Amino acid sequence: MPSSSTSDQSHPVPAESFQPVAAVLAAILPGAGHAYLGETRRGVLIGAGVLSLFLGGLLVGGIGVVDRRENFIWFLGQALVGPIAFGVDYVHQTQFKIQEPNGRVRVAAPDEGRGPDGRAVRGEAPPYERSLGRVHELGTLFATVAGMMNLICIIDALYHTPRRRAAGGGAW
Amino acid sequence: MVTGGVLLALGAGATAAWRPFLDPLNVHELWWALLIPMSLGISVVYKAVRLRTLERYWREVAIMTTQIVLAMILLGLAVYVFVEVYVRWVAEYAA
Repeated sequence: MPSSSTSDQSHPVPAESFQPVAAVLAAILPGAGHAYLGETRRGVLIGAGVLSLFLGGLLVGGIGVVDRRENFIWFLGQALVGPIAFGVDYVHQTQFKIQEPNGRVRVAAPDEGRGPDGRAVRGEAPPYERSLGRVHELGTLFATVAGMMNLICIIDALYHTPRRRAAGGGAW
Repeated sequence: MVTGGVLLALGAGATAAWRPFLDPLNVHELWWALLIPMSLGISVVYKAVRLRTLERYWREVAIMTTQIVLAMILLGLAVYVFVEVYVRWVAEYAA
């Protein structure tokens, strides 16, 4: 057990501890790592912030902003939000893209819809409206920034320094 | 003005059966306003991690959000001046 260093006897500086379980939980669900470490309010705020950024990106740019096939580099950042990013991408790839007979998966053209088997259907509306220009860029950026911020939280949970509690005590 | 623009965007999407989180918002004219919710989200997460105590949390979040927005505006102005004044002067001088 690491001992705490002291700057002076009245204000001991808590030692940093290595918390891999908290880091894994933070990677699975934003904020769960800090809640596991007893910092419930921080965990709730982290979760609300990260998920708001991610869902905000989907709201602004639509489901097309999370695409590991066409925007792989950006998806690497989005994946840091956790399984929710992979889930959204899975839904995007399997439910909203055209599945060609040769196995290729692609975005529907503006004049083609998607049949129940995933094949293209000419003359129908596309399965979703794809975002373009700044709206697409900002939606992608929102979701990626969410992942980047969760990375900070994962690292903070992994190398955790217990914070001083407020005067009223408790986990807040 | 921002609220009206957002409502207009949502209304325009609603007539075409806009589906939230699937279809994009029609905010092409108000893209710059998205700086505010992004700055707020970044501040919420950053301060939740960095503050020793959460006693003045929301005040700190408001301050950081304001700092980010002002910094981005100043950065934009600086880049605008650089491109429209300095680069233009260099181009005219070189010619």
